[in-house]
Amino acid sequence: MTGTRRDIWRDISLAAQVLLAVVFFCAPWFGIGAYWLGVLNQVGLYALLALSLNIILGHAGMFHMGHAAFFAVGAYTTAILNTIYGWSILATLPVAGLAAGFFALLVAAPIIHLRGDYLLMVTIGIVEIVRIALVNDIFGLTGGANGIVGISRPVIFGLRVTKPWQFFYLIWGFIAVTALLFHWLENSRFGRALNFIREDSAAAEGVGVNTTRYKLMAFVIGAVWAGFVGTLYASQMRTVSPDSFNFWESVVMFMIVILGGSGNQKGVIVGAFLVVGLPELFRGFQDSRLLFFGAALVLMMIFRPQGLLPPKGRTYKLPPEACPASLGRARAQDPETV
Amino acid sequence: MIILSLNNLTKSFGGLVAVAGVSFDVERRDVIGLIGPNGAGKTTVFNLITGAIRPDDGHIFFNGHSLERLKPHRIVFLGLARTFQTIRLFPKLSVLENVLSGSHCRMKSPFISSLLRLPAQRREEKAAIVEAMKELDFVGLADHWNHEAGSLSYGDQRRLEIARALATEPKLIVLDEPAGGMNDQETFELRGLIARIKARDITIILIEHDMGFVMKVCNKIAVMENGALIARGKPEEIQKNPKVIEAYLGVDD
Repeated sequence: MTGTRRDIWRDISLAAQVLLAVVFFCAPWFGIGAYWLGVLNQVGLYALLALSLNIILGHAGMFHMGHAAFFAVGAYTTAILNTIYGWSILATLPVAGLAAGFFALLVAAPIIHLRGDYLLMVTIGIVEIVRIALVNDIFGLTGGANGIVGISRPVIFGLRVTKPWQFFYLIWGFIAVTALLFHWLENSRFGRALNFIREDSAAAEGVGVNTTRYKLMAFVIGAVWAGFVGTLYASQMRTVSPDSFNFWESVVMFMIVILGGSGNQKGVIVGAFLVVGLPELFRGFQDSRLLFFGAALVLMMIFRPQGLLPPKGRTYKLPPEACPASLGRARAQDPETV
Repeated sequence: MIILSLNNLTKSFGGLVAVAGVSFDVERRDVIGLIGPNGAGKTTVFNLITGAIRPDDGHIFFNGHSLERLKPHRIVFLGLARTFQTIRLFPKLSVLENVLSGSHCRMKSPFISSLLRLPAQRREEKAAIVEAMKELDFVGLADHWNHEAGSLSYGDQRRLEIARALATEPKLIVLDEPAGGMNDQETFELRGLIARIKARDITIILIEHDMGFVMKVCNKIAVMENGALIARGKPEEIQKNPKVIEAYLGVDD
């Protein structure tokens, strides 16, 4: 009885979510204007960054506050390959991801054993090192404090993406694919292993999980995706500069994951709307908008520290052959008869 | 056949010698009880065997492998599983997922097939669930498969730890105070469980303070005091050993 009722509610909730997604994907047709489409695109980029950070912070529970560094590596890889070597934007996408992933492997390997606050400090260091390296025109390729200008638009299937609504579909389409892939990943032995590490790293190691390897893999996959987002960002803005990848950007991504609900993709996307979209709604209040925003954050942390949408835990369907005969029967074992 | 061999195992913490030159062999299908007063170094021996800490000196051989330089997950992979003295489940995850954490090291799906949910990965996942449910059934927790592990009673949590360890497909299992916190009925059932683990051709070493339990369950007993092994033998020999009686009861001057 209660089971069927719960099923009905689940169906209603699912239908509502699908409807919301469909309406959302029609947003450019409602004449909401270039400004608000721009806001939605910005929310989308942050949502993507936060989804990739969610693997590291939400699932593996590693306090990583330097995600902007990987984002920067991706964006600069695309900018350099495109403006200096004339690569098409689409061709730079995998390279940007790999470059960010490789960079993550290099910097994370020596610090992966650090925990909590120590890891937090070191990752803040990483994002500052990257920013300062970019400002100092490292390898003579990054253009110093001015950055790189004149990045091309992406061309997909012969279509040149230039208008906000076109970027809307590019970015939010990317989110849909990402969310699906990460959903599968979450529900695999990989995703479980990250959760075991988050819950109790020593116990995870003690039952056979190679914790060092999985922590590193979480960092690398998060970084690869941040690198992809870097490509999207660079081709949307057509310019990249060190200011776009400062410590504050990392804080924003971190906040989105924690506020939205670490480990829950829907929560993370909602978090991106909250942290990036909400301040835009209060533009009319001028400077005091950030005050409202700050107050909302404080209240949130007091009354709902687990985030807006905390993860619900995986659901498993037992295959018929997984139901032992004893299921539902009381156990009774006599040691003397064994 | 000797499955585990400790050779002059030594470990100190600061100035305290926790394990001082312990040597003993474990034969296949033994059920060995490691007993001794609190602070005798029993859990340290377990931590050394399972790779949680590294010995200062000495060697550990398990089934033809030298263990003292391996990380814990490698040792589990070689077939040596453990439970913890203070229960260390993943309390917020489900009972089934806790058992699947043990299955993890026997699963092979690479990252990419998880990301793309390839058919081989789905088949493996399903097979792992079937096996995990068998282990839950084996310890009598199948009914609770979908509960949060932290919501189980103390005794059930101990049994879940055993199921999790069994899911790693061990050749040898080390149980650190398996009866700790259990009531008489649960302890009684645990004896049956240990007999059935032994029947699966799995060798067992256990630490336990409940002497009645140890004497009934184990075929050999090793006694530690102040980091050293003071006696070894069959339960009836140990009960009569004057050194053991002295260690437990003290002597009149």
